[in-house]
Amino acid sequence: MQTPNQASIDANNLLGLSLLQTDATKHENVPSLAKALPSVYLVGDSLTRLDYHIRAAATWDDGRPVLARDVEFSLKLMFCPGLPNESIRNQYRFVQAVLTDPKSPQHFILVCQGQSPEYAHASGDFFVQSEAALDPQGTLRRYSLAELQRRPNTAPADSGLQAVARRYLAAGTAALAAWPGCGPYRLTQWKKDRYLRFQRKPNWWADQLQPVPFVLQAKPKQLDFVIIPDAATATLALRGGELDVYPLMPAREFNRLRHSTAAQAGLRFYTALSHNVVTAGFNTRRPILADALTRQALSRCFDATALLRATQLGDGQRTVGIISPSDRINYNDSLALIPFDLNGAASLLRQAGWRRTTGPAGGWYRPGPSATRQHLQLRVRYRANEDVFATVALQFRAAAAELGIPVLLLPTESGAFSQALQEGDFDVYVRILMGNPFVFNFTPILHTLGVGAGNSTGFSSSRADRLIEAIAAANGPARRARLLHRFQALMQQEAPLVPLFFVSTRVAAGRGLTGLHVNSLKPGYTVAAIERPPTSTPLP
Amino acid sequence: MARLSSGSRSWSHKAACVWLALVVLVAGLAGVLPLPYLPSVPDLAHIAQPPFATSQHWLGTDPQGRDVLSVLVFGARTAVLLTLPAAALSALLGALAGGAAGFWGNKARLPVPYWLLATGGAWWALRLPIPTLALVIAAGGLVVAALARLRQRPFPTWAVPINAIVMGTATTLDTIPRLILVVAVAAGAGVSSAGLLGLLTLTAWPHPARLVRAQMLRIRELPFVEAAHAAGLPAFQVWFRHALPHALQPLRTAMPLSVASLLGLESTLSFLGVGLPPEVASWGRLLSTVRQEPAAWWLFLFPAICLIFTILSLLNLSRQQPVAA
Repeated sequence: MQTPNQASIDANNLLGLSLLQTDATKHENVPSLAKALPSVYLVGDSLTRLDYHIRAAATWDDGRPVLARDVEFSLKLMFCPGLPNESIRNQYRFVQAVLTDPKSPQHFILVCQGQSPEYAHASGDFFVQSEAALDPQGTLRRYSLAELQRRPNTAPADSGLQAVARRYLAAGTAALAAWPGCGPYRLTQWKKDRYLRFQRKPNWWADQLQPVPFVLQAKPKQLDFVIIPDAATATLALRGGELDVYPLMPAREFNRLRHSTAAQAGLRFYTALSHNVVTAGFNTRRPILADALTRQALSRCFDATALLRATQLGDGQRTVGIISPSDRINYNDSLALIPFDLNGAASLLRQAGWRRTTGPAGGWYRPGPSATRQHLQLRVRYRANEDVFATVALQFRAAAAELGIPVLLLPTESGAFSQALQEGDFDVYVRILMGNPFVFNFTPILHTLGVGAGNSTGFSSSRADRLIEAIAAANGPARRARLLHRFQALMQQEAPLVPLFFVSTRVAAGRGLTGLHVNSLKPGYTVAAIERPPTSTPLP
Repeated sequence: MARLSSGSRSWSHKAACVWLALVVLVAGLAGVLPLPYLPSVPDLAHIAQPPFATSQHWLGTDPQGRDVLSVLVFGARTAVLLTLPAAALSALLGALAGGAAGFWGNKARLPVPYWLLATGGAWWALRLPIPTLALVIAAGGLVVAALARLRQRPFPTWAVPINAIVMGTATTLDTIPRLILVVAVAAGAGVSSAGLLGLLTLTAWPHPARLVRAQMLRIRELPFVEAAHAAGLPAFQVWFRHALPHALQPLRTAMPLSVASLLGLESTLSFLGVGLPPEVASWGRLLSTVRQEPAAWWLFLFPAICLIFTILSLLNLSRQQPVAA
């Protein structure tokens, strides 16, 4: 499960490559920058060695080959102080060392703590960066990966590491067009909040491969991503032919167009169940939300069934947790869905020590520490201009009002929303968590290590931590499924998150386009495989 | 001089009065009207329903399932409770500032102790650095006052360029388009209903201030004001009790225009999503939901009718007809 902006990931996928990538046609992870899936060797009972080879043809924009050194640099860069990589650090903490081979510069071994079968896939899902471009002095070579991982936050500042961080950040903001990549496209133009333009590299290294693997195909010569904030305008643009593809389309708009005869003439409509779940999260650092009973009570104020019907027209799946019900092995179907039950919520609140008072200052109160009195009142934050989140927040507010709990709604601009989550400036949030069916590493979002980074709820429990670590290190699908079942039960009991329902991917595209491969995986379609058949030009 | 009379009114004027009375009445009774749904309670079983599709939602629902009729009724209350006080407060502020600027010009003088006390108080209130300096300045004011009393001398005075301050501030505010100013503040800091009221007031006062100042420039030269000065009345009393009531005449015409302008501004802000909090019903926000549901004509038509009729009525009300006495 990840939370960054999906659009930015899609854009990065065009500029850079990871060792492995998801093939939408096969619904599995396949080699991308790597020549093949890694060979897995179990060492003793606690280590795994993953043997990788990078494709010989793989090169950076300047013609230099992509080397094992670049992979090692990329992993070290995650742990370089001064970079906002807290979330990804927790994802890749299991990689303990990178062993490069001086005789074969494109061969390396990742040494991983634990023996999870998941490592073979999880170890290759990060963008490889060019060491020559970002750290020409080789500063990070002076440190081992383990040293950087163990480096405490309180360690004295290192000028070399600071310089690398500065260089990386500068490359990310000022010199975006000159970003050294090994992907098929180059970012040639962009305007904040308006558009991004990507041009296909004329001599991309993967063109030499015979045959070109699906994940390395890049057919469009130019890709323009246009940012259109509201659905009606985007639909108009789509119908007017100014847009070719409209992904993540709102359900009502999608349904309306799909049933319009005029739209059917020019457009095709695709839908697939996704691994994205609409979720409410509680800020467990707030004293009023620190106990599980209060969170369980508030979970019962979400009418997930009605919300699914209202916002998705029923096109989605209710869930007991953050594992998709379509994942039959790992989904815990023995758990009951959280009901919309205001009486039950009130009863749970009383069990949590809350007492309802009437009168002008009425509401729910309970004794707090140091003879203080806690008042149950909530601020719900969600991204502005998102119809689904607004409806969820409004329904929650109305239900809470029936119980006498005041709720303040705070629709927040996208950038400010991310910052507010990072700083814990909310009581309840509503957003979408994006899932990956191949990796079950919940460390970034629910482990104690993720608090202050991707773990926005601030949830921290030794029992949950142990379970998350055990899932990440589980040495077989059956054991992992058992642990995931237990994890879902624990999360329902602790209720730091309320997964409401999984949504479907909806894509509308011009009828003439082929190769979209709409699927359940992020981002729901394959932008680089899209083709537009040549149109016949009428003779004069 | 022509006398304004309310004796003969055109049908449009009567219709305007009836409509505005209806809006005020609905706003006042919003809490007790037998509406099936409150505007903050979504009916998730009926999302974006057209009018009369169900017996519960006469004017349909919006894309979040809110009853359009309820939103219109409570939106009227928001319009009345927000724009009327904002117009009244801006008129009051503008009248005081413009009246003072017109009456005293740049010739007013303020005793130095008051200057120092005001400076120290402002320093403290604005939480400027070195707060002890504010105390020192205020204490200095008290010392100067005490010394003047001991020596039985009048307080020394410094000039206060009221006209320059008022007109300079008004001109500065006028140079920035009001919508941009309000959107920038509201979007940057976020505003509550009370905050929006304050923001609208602070940006709307220059117009009434200019009108009252212009009138005051004429009033202060009239014989009755000169007579009051000659009778030895304090300047403040002459200004406040004798001159100012006569200078307020232009506000009678300007007030409906100000309400109309503020209503339009509030609706624009809500349309842009930077105005009132989402739980507060607003005609402008209801209008904006048509962007999510372009085929839902009722989301555009009903709030647009309310806004157009209200603004036209206010404009009509401001056009008072002179009738021969």
